[in-house]
Amino acid sequence: MPALSSLDRRSFLRLGLGVTVLGAVGTGCAPATPKSGSTDSRTFTIYWNAGHAYKAYQQVIDQFGKDHDLVMNWQKFQWPDLTTKLTADFRSGNVPDLVEEVSAGTGTQYGLDRNVLALDDLAKADPGFGFPDDFITAAVSARQYEGKTYSIPLHLTANGLLFYNKGMLSAAGFDQPPATWEEFLEVAKATTKDKVSGTSLNSDFSYSAPFYNQQNVAFSNVSAKQFLEPAAAARVALQYMQDLVFTHKVSPAPVATTDYSGPQKLFSAQRAAMFLSGPWDIGPIRQGSPDIDLGLTVPLTGTTQSASMAGGGLMIPAKAKDPKLSWELITRLAAVQTELAASKEAGMSMPRKSWAADPSVASDPAMGVIAKALAIVAKQDVGLSASGKAAQINELYKKAYQQIIIQHAPVEATLADFRKQAGAAL
Amino acid sequence: MNRRRQAATAWLFLSPAVIFFVLLFFLPIGNQLLTGLYDADGVNFVGLDNFTRALGDPEVVHSFLITLGYAAGTLVVGTAVGLGLAVILNQAIPGRTLFRSVLLIPYLTSVSIIGLLWRNILDPQVGILNRLLDQFGLPGQTWLSTHPLATIVGITVWSSAGYTMVLFLAGLQGIPGLYYEAARIDGAGPWRRFFSITLPLLTPTTLFVSIIGLISTLQQFALPYIVTGGGPGNATSLYAHRLFLVAFNDNDFGYASALSVLLLLVVLVLSLVQLKIGDRADAAH
Repeated sequence: MPALSSLDRRSFLRLGLGVTVLGAVGTGCAPATPKSGSTDSRTFTIYWNAGHAYKAYQQVIDQFGKDHDLVMNWQKFQWPDLTTKLTADFRSGNVPDLVEEVSAGTGTQYGLDRNVLALDDLAKADPGFGFPDDFITAAVSARQYEGKTYSIPLHLTANGLLFYNKGMLSAAGFDQPPATWEEFLEVAKATTKDKVSGTSLNSDFSYSAPFYNQQNVAFSNVSAKQFLEPAAAARVALQYMQDLVFTHKVSPAPVATTDYSGPQKLFSAQRAAMFLSGPWDIGPIRQGSPDIDLGLTVPLTGTTQSASMAGGGLMIPAKAKDPKLSWELITRLAAVQTELAASKEAGMSMPRKSWAADPSVASDPAMGVIAKALAIVAKQDVGLSASGKAAQINELYKKAYQQIIIQHAPVEATLADFRKQAGAAL
Repeated sequence: MNRRRQAATAWLFLSPAVIFFVLLFFLPIGNQLLTGLYDADGVNFVGLDNFTRALGDPEVVHSFLITLGYAAGTLVVGTAVGLGLAVILNQAIPGRTLFRSVLLIPYLTSVSIIGLLWRNILDPQVGILNRLLDQFGLPGQTWLSTHPLATIVGITVWSSAGYTMVLFLAGLQGIPGLYYEAARIDGAGPWRRFFSITLPLLTPTTLFVSIIGLISTLQQFALPYIVTGGGPGNATSLYAHRLFLVAFNDNDFGYASALSVLLLLVVLVLSLVQLKIGDRADAAH
C-alpha cells in the first residue's frame, strides 16, 4: 500500500487542512435542518408575530392548554423570521399546529401549494363561530381563491392613518390636521425645525401603499402582468415621497432595516410631528409617551382618499397533528370577546362586524377613525398571492423603494426597472 | 512497527474524523449538488440549467461582486488591525492582559447581539452615536445609508480583530528572540526587523488567518441581514443573503442549491490559490 505508507507528517497536515476547509465551507453550504417543537403529541406549537403577543391572547392560549392538558409552545418571531421558519418547516414536514399569517394572501399562497388547509369545511361545521357572516367581506375575500378560504382574519387594519402631535401642530399655527397632500407638505414644512422633522417615512416598502393607492395606482394586476400602473400616477406618488426626504427635507431618510418601528420611535421621542401608519402604533405611543397629545385622523387625499388593507389571519398547516384542535383554538382567538380584550389592551382593530358594533368600540374615537379608514381600503389583487410569486415580487419592490427613498435613485428609471423585473418573475 | 501496521494505525486514528465529515459534511454537500440539478419543486431534472442561470443572473452577479469587495476589505483591514494589535500587545506594556481580554470580547459575542448593538449605535435617527455627536455639536453620521457595505466591513473587523490578534500573538511568541538580537547587533531598526523577520516568520499564521477569514467572509449572512436587511436597495445583499432569498423567498431550492455549490467551488479555488501562494512565500524564506 504505497499510498498509505507515504502518509508522513506533511501529508497528514495537508489532509487535515483540506478536510478543515471543506468542513468549514460545508457548514455554510449544508442544507438547513429545521427543528420544530411539535413532534410531541402533548405539545401544541403556535407561531406568532412578536408584536402581537398581547396578554388577551396569552390568556386564551393558557386556558386552551389547561382545558386539553397540552403544553402550549407559543413561539414569537419577527415577520421575516416567521416566514423563513415556516418555509423550512413545510419543506421538512415538521410543522406547527397553528400559525399567524403575515398578511391577507399568504395563506392562499401556502394553501395553493397544499401546505395549509382550506378551512371552509371546519367553518361550516361550526356555525356558532359566525364565519363568514360576522366578518367584514373585504377581510374574507382577500383570503379566498376559487371558492376556498385558506385563513381566518385575526386583525383587520388600515395603513395610512395620520398620527400627529397636536401640540406641535398647534405651535406651528394649525388647529386641524392636514387632509390633502398639499396640506400635509405645508404642515410638515412648518413643523420641521431644529431637531424635529415634520414627518418620518418608513423604510418598509409596504408603507408606500397608502401613497400610491391615493393616486389610484394598483400594485399588481397579475392577469395583465402589470405592476404599479398607471405608471405616471405611480411616479407622482413615489416622487412625492422622495421629495419629502431630499427636496423639502421634512423627513429624515429612513434606515434600511427589518424593523418598521422607526417613525413611531421618532414620533414618541417628539422628534417627528406626523407620520402615516396603522392601529398597531397606537399602543406603543400611548404606553411609551403618555405625555404626547396624540391626534389620529383619516388617511390623506391625493387624487382620491385611500388606505391600504393590513392585518393578519390564522392558518392551519396541512400536516398539523389535529386540525380540529387547531380550529378550536382559532375560534377562541378570533372570538368577539378576545377581540374586544385585545383592542382594549393594544388599540388593535378587528374584522368582526359584531366587534365593530360593540358599544365600547363604536364610542371609541380612535376606532371610529379606523372604521372610516377601513371603508376606503384599496382592493387587493388576490391573483398575486395565487401566483406564488408575491414574496419574490415584494422583494423586488422593496429594493426599488429603498433605492428611491434612501439612496435617492431616479424615480422613473427605478420603477421601470422594477416593472421589468417583476414581469419577468411572473 | 512495519509500514502496513503504521498505516492501519493512522487510519484508525483518522476514522472518527473521517466518519464525522463524511456524514455531516460530504453527504449534505452531495445532496446539495444533486438538488441543484432539479427544478424549484425538486421534481424535474434540469441538468446544469441552474448553474448556467446563475452566471447570467444580474442579482447573483451583483451579490457575488459585493461579497468579493466585502471579503477583500475585511481581510486586508482585519489582518492589518489584528497584526497591529498583536505587535503592540506583545510588548511589555502595563495592563496588556486586560487589553487582550477586552479586545477578545466582541469575538466571543453572538453575531446577533453584535448586529443589534451596532444597529442601535449607528441608526441616524435614534442611534446612540448621533446623540453623542450632537452633544458635542458635531454633525450626525448616516453611514448605514451612505456607506452601508463599508460599515458592515468595519463592524466585521471590529468583531474579529481580537481573534486575529490572538492568532498573531501566538505566532509572534513562536519567533525566537535570538533573531531580533542578531538583527539589532547588525544595526537593523524596528521597521527593518518587522519587515525582514516578523512578517516572513508569520507567513503560516497569516496564511491561516486569511484562509479562515476568506471562508467566513464569503459565507457571511447574519450580520448584514440583522443590521441592514440586505439594503438599502441591495447594497449589502451579499451572496449568502441572495442564496437565502432564492431559497426562502422565491421557494426555489434547486436554484439555491446550485448557488451554494458554486459558492463551495469558489471558496475551494480561492483557498487553494492562497495555499499555493503561501507555499511559495514559505519556500522563499
